[in-house]
Amino acid sequence: MNTFWSMSTNVGRKRSDGEEQGGQGEPRVSPARPPFGKKQLPSIPKNAVPITKAASPATSVQSANGTHASYGPFYLEYSLLAEFTLVIKQRLPGIYVQPSYRSALMWFGVIFIRHGLYQDGVFKFTVYIPDNYPDGECPRIVFDTPVFHPLVDPDSGELDVKRAFTKWRRNHNHIWQVLMYARTIFYKINTSDPLNPEAAVLYDKDIQLFKRKVIESVKLCNSHLFDQPKMDDPYAISFSPWNPAVHEEAKEKMFAHKRLPEDYNKGLQVSGLSWVKPGSTQPFSKEDSPLQT
Amino acid sequence: MAFMVANGNQGGQTLVLKDVDPETCMIVFRNHWAQVVKILEKHDPVRSNVGILGVGHGLGGGGGLGGLRFGQIPGDEASAVQNYVEHMLILLMEEECGQSGAMGPILEFVVMENVLERLFIWSLRREFTDEMKLEQLKMYEMLIGQARQPLLHHKPILKPLMMLLSSCSGSPSRPSSAVVEAELVLLLNQLCSVLTKDPSVLELFFHTSEDQGAANFLIFSLLIPFIHREGSVGQQARDALLLIMALSAENHVVAKHIAENTYFCPVLATGLSGLYSSLPTKLDVPNEDWHCLSGEDWQQLPSLVQFLNSLEFCNAVIQVAHLSIRDQLVEYIHNGFLVPVLAPALHKLTLEEVMTTTAYLDLFIRIVSEPALLRTFLSFIFLHRHDNVHILDTLVSRINTPFQLGTVSLALFRTLIGLYCEDVMLQLIFKYLISCNHMMLSQRRVLRERDCYSVSAAKFLSLTPSCCSPEIVPPPLRHLDSILWSKGTDGSQKGTEESEEVLPEEDDCVIGSEIHLDVSYVQYLSDAENNIANCMRACRVWSAPYDGENPPPEEYQSSTLEESGRTRPQITSKTTQPQNQVQQSSQPVRDHNAAPGLLELEWDDSYDACPTQPHPEEGQDAGPIQDEPPQHIQEMRRTAIMLVKGSYMEEAEFQNDVMVYDLVAQKDVQDSSNSCHASSKPAESEQLESGEPTSNQNPTESSIRNGPSMEDCKKKEGEPAQSDRSAIPEGEDLMAQYEDLIRSLAAQSSSQTNSELKSPTELMEDEVEFNSFLPETPELERMPSSPFGTKPCSASRGNAVPFTGPFVSVLLSRLENMLNNTLQVNLLLTGILAQLAAYPQPLLRSFLLNTNMVFQPSVRSLYQVLASLKNQIEQLSATRKDFPELLTAAQQCLLARESSLRDSQSPKMGDRIHGPEADKTKKYPAIQPKVIVPSNRTEVYATVLFTEFLKELAAIAQEHSILSQLPMEE
Repeated sequence: MNTFWSMSTNVGRKRSDGEEQGGQGEPRVSPARPPFGKKQLPSIPKNAVPITKAASPATSVQSANGTHASYGPFYLEYSLLAEFTLVIKQRLPGIYVQPSYRSALMWFGVIFIRHGLYQDGVFKFTVYIPDNYPDGECPRIVFDTPVFHPLVDPDSGELDVKRAFTKWRRNHNHIWQVLMYARTIFYKINTSDPLNPEAAVLYDKDIQLFKRKVIESVKLCNSHLFDQPKMDDPYAISFSPWNPAVHEEAKEKMFAHKRLPEDYNKGLQVSGLSWVKPGSTQPFSKEDSPLQT
Repeated sequence: MAFMVANGNQGGQTLVLKDVDPETCMIVFRNHWAQVVKILEKHDPVRSNVGILGVGHGLGGGGGLGGLRFGQIPGDEASAVQNYVEHMLILLMEEECGQSGAMGPILEFVVMENVLERLFIWSLRREFTDEMKLEQLKMYEMLIGQARQPLLHHKPILKPLMMLLSSCSGSPSRPSSAVVEAELVLLLNQLCSVLTKDPSVLELFFHTSEDQGAANFLIFSLLIPFIHREGSVGQQARDALLLIMALSAENHVVAKHIAENTYFCPVLATGLSGLYSSLPTKLDVPNEDWHCLSGEDWQQLPSLVQFLNSLEFCNAVIQVAHLSIRDQLVEYIHNGFLVPVLAPALHKLTLEEVMTTTAYLDLFIRIVSEPALLRTFLSFIFLHRHDNVHILDTLVSRINTPFQLGTVSLALFRTLIGLYCEDVMLQLIFKYLISCNHMMLSQRRVLRERDCYSVSAAKFLSLTPSCCSPEIVPPPLRHLDSILWSKGTDGSQKGTEESEEVLPEEDDCVIGSEIHLDVSYVQYLSDAENNIANCMRACRVWSAPYDGENPPPEEYQSSTLEESGRTRPQITSKTTQPQNQVQQSSQPVRDHNAAPGLLELEWDDSYDACPTQPHPEEGQDAGPIQDEPPQHIQEMRRTAIMLVKGSYMEEAEFQNDVMVYDLVAQKDVQDSSNSCHASSKPAESEQLESGEPTSNQNPTESSIRNGPSMEDCKKKEGEPAQSDRSAIPEGEDLMAQYEDLIRSLAAQSSSQTNSELKSPTELMEDEVEFNSFLPETPELERMPSSPFGTKPCSASRGNAVPFTGPFVSVLLSRLENMLNNTLQVNLLLTGILAQLAAYPQPLLRSFLLNTNMVFQPSVRSLYQVLASLKNQIEQLSATRKDFPELLTAAQQCLLARESSLRDSQSPKMGDRIHGPEADKTKKYPAIQPKVIVPSNRTEVYATVLFTEFLKELAAIAQEHSILSQLPMEE
């Protein structure tokens, strides 16, 4: 999968590191990387473009127009970046994602269930985005460990996303909606056309047994929490047990200050000017010029 | 007594005392002094009056020195005194403070005996030569600089010092010699630094002055004459003054004194005017590429260096001084320099002069950094009217001149929009966009939408001419800056920077043959990201987001209409009301003084009308304010008469002037279909210009080069009329016509009649011929082609015509003519547009970059202009077989140009092909283009540039889709 992107080795293009929703203090450790929270996104190295050596010219990004072919990868990259910024903007409760190091088409995620049947569940998943995005199918979501759930395939761990997004429509559908959907299924359980018929039947017929099975499944998932990530990718999400030496400081930092450090603007001397009195739309209408120097 | 002699750097001798018992020192000092006193008294004219006070008062101020001299003082006695004094001074200097800060015994003795004052009087009594002055000045300099205890707190030391200072300052009639001045300023500088370290001395300085009979701050007043001095003396004086300015920020007594009792601010501001007047009125322009004064340029002009020194000093004063001084200085600069000196200079009579002034103005704005001073300069440009015409309007319209003035004007605006100043952007662009009239109503809600899928970027890039398609012409950049994509870059590599170091050879192969990825595009993306991020950060201080909601379009619209009802007829009412009625209703409240703020919003239509401005009141506009025709009309009259009388050649420069005003007037708001008119302008003016060296295009060539496009045909239709016009000077029978015309013009502007106004040139045009253009020209966008008159406007035109403002119009119309523009003009144009596109405000972003936006038919978009350029290029390349080779060669030439610029210039001043690439540290191998494409093949260079510009815009659009959407947290 993702032949189009699989070869790209672009660190710099990732504007996508952790801390998506910030401030949770979850024990989550990822490979060394700059925090995303800075608004100053990592500068794009001129050279680190996600290109592919063995690109598949057959993919739909290309058209007869040579220009389009040349820039197609850029469009895809930016579409995905735009999607990712949208995800960040949404601040989805309990959901964290970050694109993988190797491909912008593969995102790692984790979802925390805070109440309901699946309470305390921590489910890791991977989002696979078709390489003809946004014109192809809807993105797929595969849980690392198949959760016991009517809509999750018990063998592959794949969530049935298509039922919610029968046709993926650009401009209308966004990846954050898929993520939102992945969260919703754990709170509102739907048993029609299940991928896991057993779960569906139990939920309808024997809710107590279903609950027990869910608790078992949650336990199972959580017991694998500290496993090495399935994917060998530096941006894969991995957990480690609470270690005060490592985590306490990070936690304090998270709670201590908001995203942007105070000195964020220092060193960047770019500063604008304005003497427009607010609301006046008249130039040079401010009385004095209390501008920062 | 172990004196060790060492050479001090002060020129005098410095002795260093080592381990000498203080008591011994005191005894030595007393003995020396006793010897000195003997000699002093021997020559005292009034022996009975040896008393300290008597001497002091009798000779205070060093007034009538000559009369007091008492015979000749023998040389040996004089040198004996000098020797004693030298030793005494060293003893004084080296003395430590007494216990708990008390005076040391020597100092106490000096104070009691009034030693210094008596010595000063002694030196007055001798011939008070420059040498003597120097000796005394150096004495104090040494004392103040090296004494171990504070001396200036003691009046008997301070007072003779002040007397010395004032006697050394010289007067206008008897200026001191340069050596004395240098020493004086040095000492003053030293005193100022003492002041800043020990403000308690400050009081004493004021009080001592009072004793002298004048309540002035002597050391300050003494420095003022040196403010504008060149060389190190001036620099030292300015440094010293700055110290006092900094002091004034905390000490309001000082601030008040300077602001109220000194001429500091006026001297400073009028000095600027004086220095400005000695600047060259015309610059030797190296080549047609020249567009602004670089550091190298101005460093070679001593007068400009001197001016800039003073300007920088003003800047520094404003930065550190008390607000009252700051405000006063800023006001003096406005009223004493900008308005009376710079404004007329911007309206000089020849192209070269005007161009030079524009370049100066650009330089000044780049030099000034202090917001308060910058505000003064900007409000001068944006609000001030000269001869009833806004400076801004004049400057904007000059962009459209085909001469180098146009290029320099572009450079000025590049500087202006690079300031990230809301007021600038508001006046230039936003005030025309706030109402959202330029777009279809339904589009307002998509104003803030983001382009998730890079649709706009793709649309821009799809305009890439087929001859420049990356598959056909692989960008040569690849060989220089290939995608450094190394297989070794795996997860273990922590940074991204390392990959830059990877040698290109490894990577060439990486680029697959199936897809030509345009490598240079990554650079554009990176530049775009930086630009937008900078811009967003800078614009955080703005008062509004300009997102189509704030400022509210409706409110702005209605309020402007309301306001404009006072200054001009309601736009909507015009359709229904007879024009004269409108005039009457608007006239009574038309008071320029009463509502300056409102008027500022207006585009001055008496000069250069635009469609949003109804014209009927134009006569009034000029009328109540001035009885005389504006100066430029008078000038025009004079020139025109000369022109007709055949005396033109005597004052050939006026011709340029006419040209400027003519072209200025034709400032272009034309629709693209009218581009033939615009593009014919350079040609037509050159015909008139008859070989003026500033011309850079061959008219015939450019018209041929344009290819057999539709526009071209139209243009040719227009040409006969133009050549008729160029023949005017010979037409003796036109004389009467001209004079009639001019008389009517003058009458028009003073008597407020509402008759049609026509420029001389316009009148000469075959009306039928001219009107044949009109069907192609959307009526609403047509511009009047006279500087002081306007086309008659039909009532139907009076509706609020969507208009994006003269600045955008003029930029787009110059861009439309890209194929005929010089390389430099195109670099500036695309640079300005790219900078504008980087602004995050949705109103501007959507206007420039959203290719899906539907605008009103009369509004021309950037995309439309680019599309028409693409067509022109396609036609060109279809008819020229050698076009592809030329393109490749031109690419090479441009790369060579860029790399040589990069090598020779500091990254800040150098203009690059596009965007700030200052972070590009990598040195490129020197490029030697194989074929040099001559620079007059503007269309070849323009095509290369066009292709690059598309990438730049696309990159900006893509980065906006990500950056602008991130929430701006504080």
